Amino acid sequence: MRVAFVGKGGVGKSSLSGSFARVLAEAGERVLAIDSDPMPGMAFSLGLEQSDAGLPDDAVEEYEEDGRQRYRLREGLTGTDAVEQYAQRAPGGVHFMQLGKARGPQWNNRRQHFGFQRLLDDLPGDGWSIVGDLPGGTRQPFLTWGRYARTFLVVIEPTPASLLTGRRLARLAETARAPRVVAIANKVREPGDAERVSSRTGLDVIGSVPFDPALADADRLGKAVLDTDPDGPTATAVRSLVQTLQKSEEQS
Amino acid sequence: MKIAVVGKGGSGKTTTSAVLARTFARHGHDTLALDCDSNPNLGISLGIGEEATEALVSVRDAVDAGEEQHATSMDDLVSRFGVDAPDGVRLAVVTAIQNPEPDCP
Repeated sequence: MRVAFVGKGGVGKSSLSGSFARVLAEAGERVLAIDSDPMPGMAFSLGLEQSDAGLPDDAVEEYEEDGRQRYRLREGLTGTDAVEQYAQRAPGGVHFMQLGKARGPQWNNRRQHFGFQRLLDDLPGDGWSIVGDLPGGTRQPFLTWGRYARTFLVVIEPTPASLLTGRRLARLAETARAPRVVAIANKVREPGDAERVSSRTGLDVIGSVPFDPALADADRLGKAVLDTDPDGPTATAVRSLVQTLQKSEEQS
Repeated sequence: MKIAVVGKGGSGKTTTSAVLARTFARHGHDTLALDCDSNPNLGISLGIGEEATEALVSVRDAVDAGEEQHATSMDDLVSRFGVDAPDGVRLAVVTAIQNPEPDCP
């Protein structure tokens, strides 16, 4: 399964994607969880204390082709090798990496960014499940960070700003020809919320996650909600979401 | 006074900006609210509504469309492409990602 979580800042991408990755690993899949944000977000929801799991500079080499600067993994290093060597292990056996993180004082993160693209390009199709927590907002997730994905999960809460972001992402996905784009309604409080998300964005809602104070508590503590409230509303909803996606992958 | 509001996604930048802008305007300052987010939602927090926010044309789009030649100054640009928000705030959207651009992450 290759999924990417997108949506407005603050809608719950990190909380849901980290929980999703762990549930998938508990179901027996080999999971790579990737976070596009250099500040910890997904790491906490995976149950890691802190994280610095990037791709080191010496894992990526620069070369020139047709006068353009290009990047590839160091000779002899496969995508799987890179994950085994550099990923941090999270509970449940999830492999966790942060992508595109510039190291040291340099601003330019091209080496990191393109090295990571090569790593994803090189992972065997069915051997790994990939769960990505992509940049918030409408920076172009469909063309760059998320191009490994077969399914984009747009996390949307029933607020005007989040719905507007959902519509923008749906439009960008259409023009970018993203493979499959569906919505998850998050922080749902009323029976009509999921329907509202669907009708206001034109996206199919494949799962709903209720508003959950236990998730807010876990966020404040920097803990995984799967650890603090393993049978609560968020954990239950994420398990059901994983099952739904597993079924739809079998059918496709 | 020129203030920029920054921070992590979802931490309240847009809400804070909107409340600051309307507060300054209520105290009699000429206030320009600039939405520099590539996913611009400041209009919603200022109170112009979801539809009007979605319909805003960004200054960047206007410049790309060649409108800039017809504007004689930045003030002119803001008056052409800004909209009025409650309390007398003027809102302009600086940039928005409308279409995929393959070389820009």
